Amino acid sequence: MSETAVLDIPVIDIVHPLPGFPEARRFALVQLDDAGVLCALRSLDDPDLRFLVVPPQHFFPDYTPEVSDDVVAELGIDSEHEVLLLVILTAGATLTDTTANLLAPVVVNTRTREAAQVILDDATFPVAAPLLG
Amino acid sequence: MLVLSRRVGESLQIGDDVVVTVLEVRGDVVRLGIAAPRSVAVNRSELLIQLESSNQAAASPSEQAVAALAAQLRERPTP
Repeated sequence: MSETAVLDIPVIDIVHPLPGFPEARRFALVQLDDAGVLCALRSLDDPDLRFLVVPPQHFFPDYTPEVSDDVVAELGIDSEHEVLLLVILTAGATLTDTTANLLAPVVVNTRTREAAQVILDDATFPVAAPLLG
Repeated sequence: MLVLSRRVGESLQIGDDVVVTVLEVRGDVVRLGIAAPRSVAVNRSELLIQLESSNQAAASPSEQAVAALAAQLRERPTP
C-alpha cells in the first residue's frame, strides 16, 4: 500500500475499548468496495485484528437507535450530521448467514474521529440480526 | 468478594465518585440506582459477556469470507 493511501485512511480513536478487545484503541476505517457499503475497522495496535462494518441504513432502513446524552457528551457530538453510525458484521459463509450487531453499534464523531461501541439502552435490539432480515 | 447488607434507601460508595443505592426490593428483583461519572461504563454483566463473544466471533474474518461477502453485496440490487 502506498504511503499516500495510508494517509488517506481516517484513523479512529476508540474512547472505550471494544468489549473483548481491551488493547485495541486505534483503528483505520477502510473501504472494501467501490460503493462504500462494506468497510473494515482495521486495528492499528494489532495488525491481525479487523472488524467488518457497514452503515446500517443500507440494510436496516428502520433502524434509528437512540444514543444516550452521556454518549453524545462523551464523544463531543454537536450535531447529528457529524455522526457516522456503523454496525459490526459477523461474516457467515453466505450473505444470508451474515449477521449485524444492532444492539451495540459503533458511533463515530466524524469531526473529532473519536468513536465508541455503544450498548443501546433499548435491549430489544438484537446482537445478531440477519443482514438480509 | 466483599459482602455488605443494605436496606432500601441505603447506599454504598465505590471509590471517590461511584454511589450505588438500593431503590427497591421485590421478591428476587433488586432495583439499584448507580451514580457514576460519564467515564465509568455501567453495564449489565451478562450483556457485556454477550457483546464480548459477539465481537470475538466478528473479529478478523478470513480473506475468503470478506471477498465472498463483497462479491455478494455487489450482486445485490441497491435498495
